[in-house]
Amino acid sequence: MRQGATSFQAAAGSQREPGRIGSLLLLPLVLWAFAFVVAPAAIMLVYSFLERGTLGGVQWGTFTLENYAGVGDPTYLGIIVRSIGYAGLTTGICLAAGYPVAYMIGRADARWRNLLLMAVMVPFWTSFLIRTYAWVTILKSQGLLNSLLLSTGLIAAPLDLLYTPGAVVVGLVYTFLPYMILPIFTSVEKLDGALIEAALDLGAGPVRAFSRVIVPLTTPGISAGILLVFVPALGIYAVNDILGGGRVDMIGNIIENQIKGNARNWPFGAALGTALLFSFGIAYYVVNRRQRVAEGR
Amino acid sequence: MQRISWRTPMAVLALAMLASCSGEEKAADRAGEAVAEAPEAGGELNLFAWSEYLPQSVIDDFQTETGIRVNYESYASNEEMLAKLTTGAVAYDLVQPSEYTVEAMVKEGMLVPLDKAQIPNLKNIGPEYYGLVHDPELTYSVPYMQGTVGIIVNTERIKEPVASFADVFSAKHKGKIVVLDDSREVVSWALASLGIDVNDVDSENLEKVKPVLAAWLPLVKVYDSDSPKTALTNGDVDLGIVWSGEGAILLNENPGKFTYTLPTDGAHMFIDSLAIPTTVQNAAAAHKFIDYILRPEVSVKISADFPYTNPNVEARKLLSPAELANAASYPPGNPKLSTFTDIGKAAADVDKLFTDMKAQSGS
Repeated sequence: MRQGATSFQAAAGSQREPGRIGSLLLLPLVLWAFAFVVAPAAIMLVYSFLERGTLGGVQWGTFTLENYAGVGDPTYLGIIVRSIGYAGLTTGICLAAGYPVAYMIGRADARWRNLLLMAVMVPFWTSFLIRTYAWVTILKSQGLLNSLLLSTGLIAAPLDLLYTPGAVVVGLVYTFLPYMILPIFTSVEKLDGALIEAALDLGAGPVRAFSRVIVPLTTPGISAGILLVFVPALGIYAVNDILGGGRVDMIGNIIENQIKGNARNWPFGAALGTALLFSFGIAYYVVNRRQRVAEGR
Repeated sequence: MQRISWRTPMAVLALAMLASCSGEEKAADRAGEAVAEAPEAGGELNLFAWSEYLPQSVIDDFQTETGIRVNYESYASNEEMLAKLTTGAVAYDLVQPSEYTVEAMVKEGMLVPLDKAQIPNLKNIGPEYYGLVHDPELTYSVPYMQGTVGIIVNTERIKEPVASFADVFSAKHKGKIVVLDDSREVVSWALASLGIDVNDVDSENLEKVKPVLAAWLPLVKVYDSDSPKTALTNGDVDLGIVWSGEGAILLNENPGKFTYTLPTDGAHMFIDSLAIPTTVQNAAAAHKFIDYILRPEVSVKISADFPYTNPNVEARKLLSPAELANAASYPPGNPKLSTFTDIGKAAADVDKLFTDMKAQSGS
C-alpha cells in the first residue's frame, strides 16, 4: 500500500522533490556538521590509538590499544558507572518533576502560557556558574537553608548539606530541569484535547487515559527531554566540583585531567571520550529501535 | 598544577574569537618585523599568562607608556598553556610557566634564551632565585611571583597546634579538611611526610605512598584548587592545605582568625616565571614587558592584588609593614622548601595513583 502511494505521488508530485539548487541549500549544514561533529570525532578516534607525548599532545608513529585497556581499569570503570548513576538519577528526578510542570504549562491559557514559559527560561539569563555558586550560599553550614531551619527550631545544629552527594544531585537537577520541561511542553502543546475526552468518554479512568493516551502522544517530547538531560549530565563536572567538593570524580573530571591537568595523557583522554561516544551511539540505537518496533514500524 | 579549571571552558569561545581577530593583524605585524627589532618596540605583544595573577591596570599602564598593544590571554594550568602553545594557533610572545614546566620546556627546546642586555631590571631579583634546578642562571626565565603550599588553620575552631602533614590528617579533623585537587601536590605531601624527596616518584616510592593516602583521603571534605579559601571562609571546613596566595588573602581579611604555617616535613615552593617561547614574533616587546614588570613600583602593584612572595628585592622595600608581616606571603624562620622538577611521563602514574586512592576513599 505504501509503495502504491509513493508511485502515485511520484507522477503528480515530482516538482515537489528538491532540485539541485535546493540541495545546495543543505551545503552549509553539511559543512558545519563535518567541521564540528565528524572531524573532531575522527581526530579523537585517531588520537585514542596513539602514544602520549612528553608535554601533552600525542606521539605519532606507533599505534597502540593500551589506552583502551586503561578504560577497563576497575577505578575508571567504577567512575563511569557512578557518573551514569548520577546522570540517570538526575534524569529520573527531572522527568518526574518536569512532566507535570510541562503539562500544566502546555494546557494553560495562552496568556498564562507565555508567562510560565518565561519563568522556566529566566534562569538562562544568568551564567550557569553564578547560579551554581548561589547554591553554595544556600547550602553552606551558615547558609540560607540552615539559618532558616535553625530559626524555626526544626533543627538544633546546622545540617551537613554542602559537599555531599545530595548537593550534587540538587545542583544537577536544578541545572537540567528546563531541558526536560521545554521539549515535553512542545509535545503537550500539540496534544489534541478531544483524544483525552474520547478516552474518558469510552470508559478509561484518569490513570488509564494518562498512561494509554497522554504519555504515548507526548513520547517524542519525553525522549528528547531524556536525551537532553542525560547526555550533558553525564559529562558535566563543574557541579560536582563546586557543590560536591570534588570528593568523588566524575568521568568529566578524569577526561579533563588527561588533557589539561597533571596527567597530560591526551590519548587516554581520547580513548575515554571515544568509549563514551560509542556507548551513547549504541544506547541511542537500541532505544530508537525498540521504540520503532513498539510502534510497529 | 591547576588553579582555575572549570572557568576556562566558558572562556574558550571568547578566546577563539580573540585569536581569529588578532590573527589577521599579525600578518601585517610580521611584515614590519625588521623594524620591531629596534629597542623602540611598538606593535603588539601576545601575552599568555595565568588567570587571576596579573592586574589589568599594570597591562593598561604598559600599553600607555610604550604604545605596544597587549593581547592578553589567560590559562588555568601549565598543562593547558603547553597544549595551546604546541598547537601553534596563536604565536605567543610571552608565557608564564611554573618551575617544573620551565624545566620541561627548556628540555624540549621551546624557550629562547633571554637577552639580558634588554632587561636591566633583572638586577632586582633576589640571589636566592639563582641556582635552582629548573633554570640556575635565569637563562630562559625571570621569576614573576613565588609561593608556597602550606597549612591554614581556623584557630577559633582548632586550638591545638597543627605543624605537620600528619597533624592535619588526624582522625579528629575528619570532614573538616580542604586540600588542593592536584595529584602532584597531594602525592608530594605524602612523600614529604615519609621523608622521601618529593621529586622521587618511582614506582617503589609511589607504592609506599599508597597506605598514607588511604589513611588521609577519607578525612578530606573538599578538594579545590581554584578557590580553597571559600570553604574556609564559609566555615564548612576548619583547616586545610592551600596556595600561599589564598592563605595570605584569608589572613588579611580575617585578622587573628587564621594561621598559615609551612609543614615541618618540608613544603613545596613554586616559582612562576616569565619566559619567551620559540613562537615569539615581537621579542623586543617581550623583553620590554619583562623589564617593566621588574620595576619595583610596578611589582608592588602586583603584590597588592596577589599577595604571593615577591622575588623582587627592590619591590619588597616598597611594601607596607603589614604586607611584609603576612606570614603566608613571607613565611618567617628558615623553612625547608623544595621546588618541583619535571617528572615526565611519571606524571600519569602519580595522577593514576591519586585517582585510585580518591575513588577508594569516596563512595
